[in-house]
Amino acid sequence: MLFSDRSLWTMLHGLVLSGGALVLLVTALFSLRAMAAPQGATVPARQSTAFTWLTVATAALLWAAVLGGTYIVFPMYRATPPDGIASLAAYPRALLMSSPDTRWLHAFGMEVKEHVPWIAAMLATAAAFVARRHRTTLLADASLRQITGSLLGISAVLVAFVALLGTFVNKVAPLW
Amino acid sequence: MPDDSAGTEPAVTPNGATLAAVLAAGIGAFAMGFFVIANEAGIYAAPSLYGPTGGLSGRSTFAVIVWLVAWGVLNARWRNRDVAVGRTLTWTFVLVGLSVVMTFPPVWALL
Repeated sequence: MLFSDRSLWTMLHGLVLSGGALVLLVTALFSLRAMAAPQGATVPARQSTAFTWLTVATAALLWAAVLGGTYIVFPMYRATPPDGIASLAAYPRALLMSSPDTRWLHAFGMEVKEHVPWIAAMLATAAAFVARRHRTTLLADASLRQITGSLLGISAVLVAFVALLGTFVNKVAPLW
Repeated sequence: MPDDSAGTEPAVTPNGATLAAVLAAGIGAFAMGFFVIANEAGIYAAPSLYGPTGGLSGRSTFAVIVWLVAWGVLNARWRNRDVAVGRTLTWTFVLVGLSVVMTFPPVWALL
């Protein structure tokens, strides 16, 4: 079999949900700048609606990635191998911890991956709330754009960092 | 002629509800960091609410509860008034910064 259930879940979590959320975060940040209107100007409804849905979709995708990662992928990652097993390949955490060269991938990489995405999801949710609440004026209000951009920007940096760590972990100890 | 603008929002909307959401996110983030570093320092270990995920399930659930409660309380207090943007944003960034520090594993080695 080319892909196991476990590897498919990992790909769904890492590529589709987390990767998709990162793409949407960057798209939202770009849109915030590209669609900015002069202060107090009337913003076309199509633009304000599109931006609102973009931020809502970003937060929703990020929450799906966080919850899926925590409750589906992480348990497979941290499963304890039975005593006397010949190969740790099916037990990523144990595999990483078995070598001094890869131990940091769990002690640093996975520990960051466990917690930081929750922070990013809360910030993205706040951004979506601001965009939804001020959908008609946000793009023409510098203060609201600054607030939304700050939340999205911090969230994007956190998600990008976590995604990089996830790539490292999955490269060395993939879930087969 | 169809109106292409989305002009149904009142001309002046108090910013309280907006900033309540923003600061609540900072508080939720800080709560996440607090539960992590409290666990690492041996001060308080949030219980495991879902065995296969371990302590992470408790830490993250409690942080989300703190976030939502903070959001509800702040929204109830601020929704009909204007709040200082700069000060609220500064507090939010400080809380988020602290949360990142507290979830940064090298910091745990200093405890």
